[in-house]
Amino acid sequence: MQGIDRRLIQNFEWPLFTMALLVAGIGIVNLVSASPDQTASGLPGTALRQLAWLGIGVVLMLATLVPDYRTLERFAFPFYVLVVALLVGVFFGGRVVNGSRRWLDLGPLNLQPSELAKLAMILVFARILARRSSASPVGLRDLIVPAVLIAIPAALIVKQPDLGTTLVVCIVSASFLVLTRVRVFSFVLLAAIGVVGATVGWFYFLHDYQKERVFTFLDPERDPLGTAYHAIQSQIAVGSGGLFGKGFGLGSQSQLDFLPEQQTDFVFSVLGEEWGFVGSAVVLALYLGILIRGLMIAHSSKDSFGSYLAVGIVALFFWAGLINVGMVIGVVPVVGVPLPMLSYGGSALLTCMIAIGLLMNVSMRRYVF
Amino acid sequence: MNRLTTGAPPPDGMVERRLTGAALVIVAVWMLLITRLFYLQVVQGDVYKVSAERNSVRTQRVEAPRGALLDRHGEALVDSRPAFEVRVVPNETEDVPATLTRIAGLTGRDLGSVQQSYGTPRGRARFQPQRVVYDLDRDALARVEARLWALGGVLTQVTPVRGYRFGSSAAHLLGWLGEVGPEQLREEEFQSYRLGDIIGRGGIERLLDKDLRGRPGGRNLLVDAHGKELKLLSLVQPQPGRNVVLTLDHQLQLAAEAALDRAGHTGAVVALDPRTGEVLVLASRPAFDPNGFATGIDPEVWKSLKDDPYKPFMNRALQGQYPPGSTYKVVTAIAGLEEKLVDEHTQVHCGGSFRLGRRTYRCWKKEGHGTVDLNRAIVQSCDVYFYKLGLELGVNRLAYYARSLGLGARTGIELGGEMPGLVPTKEWRQLRDGTPWVEGDTVSVSIGQGANLWTPLQLAAAYAAIANGGIRYRPRLVQRIEEPDGTLVKSFGPEVAGEVPVSAETFALIRKGLADVVGGPHGTGAVMRNLPGGVLAAGKTGTAQVVAMAAGERVDSKDLQRQHRDHAWFVTYAPAEDPRIVVAVLAEHGGHGGSAAAPIARDVVVRFLEQEAGMYAGN
Repeated sequence: MQGIDRRLIQNFEWPLFTMALLVAGIGIVNLVSASPDQTASGLPGTALRQLAWLGIGVVLMLATLVPDYRTLERFAFPFYVLVVALLVGVFFGGRVVNGSRRWLDLGPLNLQPSELAKLAMILVFARILARRSSASPVGLRDLIVPAVLIAIPAALIVKQPDLGTTLVVCIVSASFLVLTRVRVFSFVLLAAIGVVGATVGWFYFLHDYQKERVFTFLDPERDPLGTAYHAIQSQIAVGSGGLFGKGFGLGSQSQLDFLPEQQTDFVFSVLGEEWGFVGSAVVLALYLGILIRGLMIAHSSKDSFGSYLAVGIVALFFWAGLINVGMVIGVVPVVGVPLPMLSYGGSALLTCMIAIGLLMNVSMRRYVF
Repeated sequence: MNRLTTGAPPPDGMVERRLTGAALVIVAVWMLLITRLFYLQVVQGDVYKVSAERNSVRTQRVEAPRGALLDRHGEALVDSRPAFEVRVVPNETEDVPATLTRIAGLTGRDLGSVQQSYGTPRGRARFQPQRVVYDLDRDALARVEARLWALGGVLTQVTPVRGYRFGSSAAHLLGWLGEVGPEQLREEEFQSYRLGDIIGRGGIERLLDKDLRGRPGGRNLLVDAHGKELKLLSLVQPQPGRNVVLTLDHQLQLAAEAALDRAGHTGAVVALDPRTGEVLVLASRPAFDPNGFATGIDPEVWKSLKDDPYKPFMNRALQGQYPPGSTYKVVTAIAGLEEKLVDEHTQVHCGGSFRLGRRTYRCWKKEGHGTVDLNRAIVQSCDVYFYKLGLELGVNRLAYYARSLGLGARTGIELGGEMPGLVPTKEWRQLRDGTPWVEGDTVSVSIGQGANLWTPLQLAAAYAAIANGGIRYRPRLVQRIEEPDGTLVKSFGPEVAGEVPVSAETFALIRKGLADVVGGPHGTGAVMRNLPGGVLAAGKTGTAQVVAMAAGERVDSKDLQRQHRDHAWFVTYAPAEDPRIVVAVLAEHGGHGGSAAAPIARDVVVRFLEQEAGMYAGN
């Protein structure tokens, strides 16, 4: 045991750890400026709460390193069942904020189980794919069980309503296909199912305001006071940051009541305005570093569960980052997806830190066999 | 090397190829994002800087005018009128104290109140227009507007102000407005509201807030670095709120309130249409003037209202619970007839008192009523007759008939905060006090003293059921909801809450008795005689003891302090043959029902009949 421990410490995954903490740290500093509420200490309560969450997150991340990730594999399905149970709990007794029923009230803190659902999907799919005995390409029949596994939490989350998280859960799950071979026929059929599903979703699941967002992305003049207005304002905020930014706490656009959710979904526009191109590029570079490092870990993993796990986590960060930043700078429609490690939200931050911990876990055990 | 342990081997090199492919895609996408950022921030940066700093866009919310509240004849009781206000944007104003002083001078307002209204905006509030003067008249507005060019960061705005046209009249049922608090915003039903939104806080304003409030619009204005408006970029018109037509008859409401006020009584008046359950009058005194509540009521005024020992916010019509006094005797009479313990011929001797064990219960008439039958007992309100009958029935049978009339339970009127009243039973006493019910308690209850508690609304609803032959309608205040252009959104019709399981013969005897209370010899409701058009009314007086008198002892009310004086009840309906209105009056500590409460009911009924006869054409 001691030998293993020593080797683990020798193999500590410093690059990922450092990059993740840097991004999270920037996130806290950015929240100080993005938050409207001021406490007696002069620091906004939002940023202080996020700092506390980060502390818990780092502890959880380090705790994730202790058991071998292959031991964790066994808990994939129990964890999935737990998350679905929590989502059902939200469905019946969740707390409503801004019209969405997303949170479970746990006394002093609120848990957002849909964030944990992302992790659960990754764990479950990594396990299923790793356990596949056949080397033949994935056929339709192989996809029935995964489809049901996605559909249950996705339906519960879309009803909250939380379109953004549903989208991320589905798209991350689909990203596992990157590492599998799929029959051409199955792929075509999948695409067809996707189109039909999107159509059904459009007519039966999307709320009017969500449809409106798609319309306004296609035609920004449609609703200059509504979502297009937010998209335009967020671009003005980012653009006016220039090369070096206006400086910490000095973004006039950010400080005005222009941006909705500027602590969560639009937090990147505050960063862009106050830290400029240099600041935003540094953050994007750190993100890219995490993504590439994740793929390297997937590559060097000694077993397929580790590889799949790493790819799933990379997919999670990739899609959430792309959708969020893309929305802020106007290349993706306005979809409510928080930016991992930068947006305010305890459950989301914890999920990110645990995900990073899992990646590190896979990395540190690549020699331990 | 151990990749094979848990699954089948992927084809050679596939994982490498796929992972490399994924890495390339990720890098490419990230390059795209960074390129876009470079374009926005570096290439177009100066353009955006100009739009952000030189010409910033100011978003103004345009409040929707709140829907009006109208009475059944279409008279507007509450509406919204446009009012002008002056706002100051802190970070666009160079010298705030000087600007505020200037505004105070121009508008003729007290500088202190202007400063107080401005407050000490910090953080993001510095970028938002702070209201400094509310509800400005046109002259003062003109003076401010003429100097706007010299007042950077100052703007004027039109905002609807709620007007309660008749001040405190019907204040309890119309309600009042206030700002949404942070506590409320956490609740589910307030999810569509924002902090600082004006919201109905009581009465119909609260009940139908979602219909009344409409939807705010907004406009985006291009403003320069000094906060001056350059151009209107876009405007979304607000959607005015819906109008609510009440069942209330405001002329009757005014008559009721005037009558209560003239006599100096606190209390309540309820009038219902016994054929539909529509509420024609729902008056409670003392009251308050809801004007200005939403725009920051003077804390002193608010405190004095809150701390007023007479509780002006209490809607006595449905929150005040009072012992029913002799108005209860119809319950005892109905129970006696239905249980066949008496009929209209049964005679009882009243010698002025009734003995039970070692206690003596007196009749209000010391010398006694002599031999009385049911009709005389009701007309002259003979206590002894009902003592004896009540004792034979027992309290639980009395309770059964009281409940079947809807007493001791909420009537289900739309307004919140309605009290249930109380109809005691043996079990209730055992549960509450752990002591058994004794016969003496039944004696008190059978004439409406003791533990019984009713609200004026319950009494009116119960007598409405007697008047219409046994159908209990749920009292309703809202007739219909309309769009601002008059399109009907919803309308409400009669709702039967239950039927009273009492025979038509019994009702006929009771109604004969109630008619004779007004029209017969020695009737206690003689005040209701000589109505316009020769209409005959029916009714019942009640005098409810506030302080328990030793052994039915009676003291003249005038000798008592106000808070120990009896409550005066009167309930009436007219015309007696074909009732179209029921009125219940409660005058707190008013003394005798016949003298204190009946004249108030008369005013309402007279006004109703005159109106029916078209004497107030146009109302």
